[in-house]
Amino acid sequence: MTHPGEEVEDGPTSAREQQRRLVEEYYADLADAGGPRKPVAYMLVGGNLTEIVRSFGYEVVFPEIVALNCAIKHESLPNILHAEAQGYGLDVCGYVKNDLGLQELGGKTPFGRIPPPDLLVCSFSGCYVYIKWWEALAEKYGCPLFVLDVPYMRDERPRSEEIEYVVAQLNEFIALLERTTGRSFDRGELRRMLAHSRKAEEGWVRYLSAGRRRPSPIEAYFEAVFYMFPINVLRGTAAAADFYDTVDAEVTARVRAGEYPVPEEKVRLVVEGVPPYPSYRTFWDFFRRWGAVSVAATYPKVGGLFDQGFLHDPDRPLESIAEYSMAAYVNQSWGLRRRLIASYAKEFEADAVVIHGIKSCRSFTAGQGDLRDWLIHEQGIPTLYLESDHEDPRYFAPAQIKNRMDAFFESLDRRRSTVSLPMVGA
Amino acid sequence: MVSDVLAGADPDASDSPPVLELHGELEEFSRAAPLDVTLRLAREIVTDPTYPTVRAWTRSGRSAVGCFPVYTPQELLHSIGLLPVALHGGGENVEISHADAALGSFLCSISKSTLELALTARLAPFRGFVFPYICDVSRNLEGIFARVLPETPTYMLHLPQNFRSGATVRFLVSEYRRLAERLERAGARPYAPGPLAASIELFNAQRSRIAELAARRRAHPGQISLAESYLLRRLGGLLPREIHVPLLDRVLAELSERPVRSRDAIRVALVGPFCEQPSLDLIDLLEQVGCEVVDDELLPLYGWYGRIDPSGDPLEALARAYVESPVDIGVRAAPSTKGGAILDRVEAANAQGVIFLTAKFCEPALEDIVLYRKALDRERIPYLHLEFEERSTSYEQARLQLETFVESILFD
Repeated sequence: MTHPGEEVEDGPTSAREQQRRLVEEYYADLADAGGPRKPVAYMLVGGNLTEIVRSFGYEVVFPEIVALNCAIKHESLPNILHAEAQGYGLDVCGYVKNDLGLQELGGKTPFGRIPPPDLLVCSFSGCYVYIKWWEALAEKYGCPLFVLDVPYMRDERPRSEEIEYVVAQLNEFIALLERTTGRSFDRGELRRMLAHSRKAEEGWVRYLSAGRRRPSPIEAYFEAVFYMFPINVLRGTAAAADFYDTVDAEVTARVRAGEYPVPEEKVRLVVEGVPPYPSYRTFWDFFRRWGAVSVAATYPKVGGLFDQGFLHDPDRPLESIAEYSMAAYVNQSWGLRRRLIASYAKEFEADAVVIHGIKSCRSFTAGQGDLRDWLIHEQGIPTLYLESDHEDPRYFAPAQIKNRMDAFFESLDRRRSTVSLPMVGA
Repeated sequence: MVSDVLAGADPDASDSPPVLELHGELEEFSRAAPLDVTLRLAREIVTDPTYPTVRAWTRSGRSAVGCFPVYTPQELLHSIGLLPVALHGGGENVEISHADAALGSFLCSISKSTLELALTARLAPFRGFVFPYICDVSRNLEGIFARVLPETPTYMLHLPQNFRSGATVRFLVSEYRRLAERLERAGARPYAPGPLAASIELFNAQRSRIAELAARRRAHPGQISLAESYLLRRLGGLLPREIHVPLLDRVLAELSERPVRSRDAIRVALVGPFCEQPSLDLIDLLEQVGCEVVDDELLPLYGWYGRIDPSGDPLEALARAYVESPVDIGVRAAPSTKGGAILDRVEAANAQGVIFLTAKFCEPALEDIVLYRKALDRERIPYLHLEFEERSTSYEQARLQLETFVESILFD
């Protein structure tokens, strides 16, 4: 049994070990990439075109993921400071500063050297900073830059004219790749990759759905972040597709053995927002102390709302890529985001919502205060808003965050005991 | 709580200046008046966060729609019977009491003050709002407006960022149709090509007058100050264009009679204030210290394109004009390199230096500046970077920096 104040370790699991191995292999392959052997495309997570690019023989780098890996290993600050010395201000996105600082410093990371790009693919899906970031990289490296303009989602499903627009751009992108690589587009190869993607996505959705169980056998925020790597970085490969079989087996075994992320589930949470990667463990501990487990979260959906049915389809390759691109979480209007969070709270039987705002990320964060107001006053869901940064350790104030969390969980606990008393006597 | 704020909203809140009342037909701007009188009134209107021109115009049941910077197809809104009004935040006269909590602290003033105006009912005369996707804050602001003003239609206009695709114009046409449909709830008529063609001609006339005003300033910088020409441009987003165009004709005629003053000044390009606008005091300061602004990003809407030919399909012509525009500012993924773009601008304007005047927390501007600076450093072109916020009232430090910058060029 876990009690507040007690430190808890997340024991290694077979899925976690496999994930670590996949990460190491990926970065080892990257360190060997570049030069004439294998061209490198830089891509963004939201709405990415990884299957198309891989079908033309590119290796793919996701600078956002490199940035978060740097931050979680406490290596982001030197990169950020270097970018600030180049002129990037305090208010610029931490991912951007980590990456541009890293690029200027030669691409060296704790997990290997990141090769420079031969191609820049900017999927403009949900974050305007994507464009500014890729413009800076294009200026530095002088390589081709393709901007995929992805319409903002304002309706529950994409409209036909939006899909037509994105598909037309995908065809133009494919023509660019044919010119650049001298290779012909292999539709069959793309379909094979999309079949791997589909399998991985279905496995990922099964994993996320497990949060509906009571108690939850998964940690849908802190643990899911680790399991996001294959779905975002290795999508389209057999390794990613198979990974979620391992996860599936592990979740089943946990349920059978009665092993849960926290030994005694006391609070079920929906978490909204990007984690504070430089203080990831500390932040997670602040939840575990109270027996709080995330049963659903929005951040694992930044790569796509697979759980809402936006899955790749080998039989409709470009159309399904277009739909997927629009369905990045932060490409959803606030109306859609609000409804999604409320539906998670209801379907996953959450007690509360925790919002983690990011100082330097306007896309995710601008309006989260209004979301809090809506959840509390119009949905009746207790909600806590916290703020720090996803990359910059200077903005994580542990004592202040812990105090606020302790007060919140304490009030939840009190509220539950006062509400439940009459029921006990009924 | 937001709904409590709205219920208790008082448009005559204590931080507002006295409310200015105008004639319902805005006769103050229709009749001939000396330029100085017009400019004094313009200054009052521009700094009044209760939108006196909109209140006057909508008193008799006409509809106005607020358009967040930097670009909305005003021609389209006009053609469906709406007055498109340029929103420019609350300026120095709006205290932020409620918007911080809804939006977040690390955000630009214009987003917060615009929301504050909504939460305090000072945008009540508007029947709808358009927020173009120029940055994540503008985009998200639409979502908040949709919640806090549920009876007022809003639209997040997806302005395309792929300017090379053969499909972009067609998509933008569909966006414009969708916008027009959404605004029918704001009192708009259904879209029709005939009225749009006529509206395009009206806005062609407005842009040509504003271009003429800019040309006069370039030829005779002492004849009209930057702040004066800026005020006349700002009026263009607040008045019915049928009133603004003849007003500019009268101004241009009167300007010819004004004496041309000459003075020592350096020629500078002003880069950065394409969305949130600096205060009039700060704009005045630029000239006071000896800067002659020969190229600027203030209110880029009026320089987005030249004359549009509305013959043929006017909606497609309007969309094409947006897509093919040469405007290269921080919120448009123009297919150019930033370094090359700034050097071209400096050369075209024959500027001696660049002043970066950026709104605090404006990420698109802040990221571009790094690339601009590198290019300027390579060519040894001097520059100065200043940040501003709407509520800034003291510019002593900015004055000192500007004076030093000017002197360093003048005595170089």
